Amino acid sequence: MTEDYTPFLPLSPAALHILLSLAGEDRHGYGIMQEVARQSEGQYKLGPGTLYDNLQKLMTQGLVEASPKPPAHDDPRRRYFRLTSFGRGVLSAEVARLESVVREARVHLRAPRRAT
Amino acid sequence: MRTCYRCLLWLHPPVFRREYAGEMLWIFDQSAGSQGVAALFFDGLGSLARQWLLRSGWWKIALALSLAVLQVVLGGFATMIFGHRHIVEPAQHPSVINMGEFAHGGSIAHQPLTVGIVMYLAVFITGGLTVMVIGLTFWMKTFGARRRHAAPRVR
Repeated sequence: MTEDYTPFLPLSPAALHILLSLAGEDRHGYGIMQEVARQSEGQYKLGPGTLYDNLQKLMTQGLVEASPKPPAHDDPRRRYFRLTSFGRGVLSAEVARLESVVREARVHLRAPRRAT
Repeated sequence: MRTCYRCLLWLHPPVFRREYAGEMLWIFDQSAGSQGVAALFFDGLGSLARQWLLRSGWWKIALALSLAVLQVVLGGFATMIFGHRHIVEPAQHPSVINMGEFAHGGSIAHQPLTVGIVMYLAVFITGGLTVMVIGLTFWMKTFGARRRHAAPRVR
C-alpha cells in the first residue's frame, strides 16, 4: 500500500532532528538531545521544553512511540522512544524532499546570474 | 533557579506535566551547566506558550474571544457612523444637541450606559463566542479527520 506522507511535510527542524536521532536506535529524552547536538555538530541544541513538546506531537501523529522496555542496565525512570514504520516513511519522504531542494539550489547557484 | 524551573513546569497543562515534567526536571539538572540556565528557562517558557495555545485547544477560546471583541468593536463603530436619529432625539435631550449633530444626529454611543445596553452587549458577545468556538472546534475536527484519512497509520 502506498502511503501519502504529504500532510506531514515539511517537517519542522526540531521534528526532523528528533526523527533522525531515533532512526538509528531507541533513545530516552536526554539521549535524543545529545544525539541531535552531535548530528548537527553543536549548531542545533534542543531544550527539554522543545523536545518533549515535539515528542508529544509526534506521538499523537503516530510517527514516534514509547519503547516497551528500557535496557536492563539503565535507570527505569527514563522512558525510551522509538520510530514507528510510518515515522520512518515520513522521515524518508522528508529527506527526499530536502534532496530535491538541495539539487535545485545547486543548479541555480551554479548558473550565471542574468539580468531580467 | 531549579525551584523557578519547577514552577514553570507546574504551569504546563496537567496531561503534559504528568507525562514529561519529571524527565524535563532531570534533564534540567543534567544540562544546566552545559546549556545555561537562562536558555533552558526560555525554552521552558516557549514550551509553556505552545502547550496552552496550540496543543490544549485554548487557542480556540483565545481566537474566538478576539473575534468576538472585534465583532463588538466593529458593531460599535457601525452604530456610531450609521446611527439613526430616533435612538436619541435631540429635541427631547437638549444637552446632546451638539454631539448629536456631530454624529449625524445621535446614536447608541450617546446613550447613558443602561442595564438594557449591557444586557444587549453581553448577549452579543456570548452568542458570538459560542458560535465561534463551535465553528472552530468543528473545523478542527474535520481538518484532523482529513489528515488521518490522507495518511493511514502503519503499525
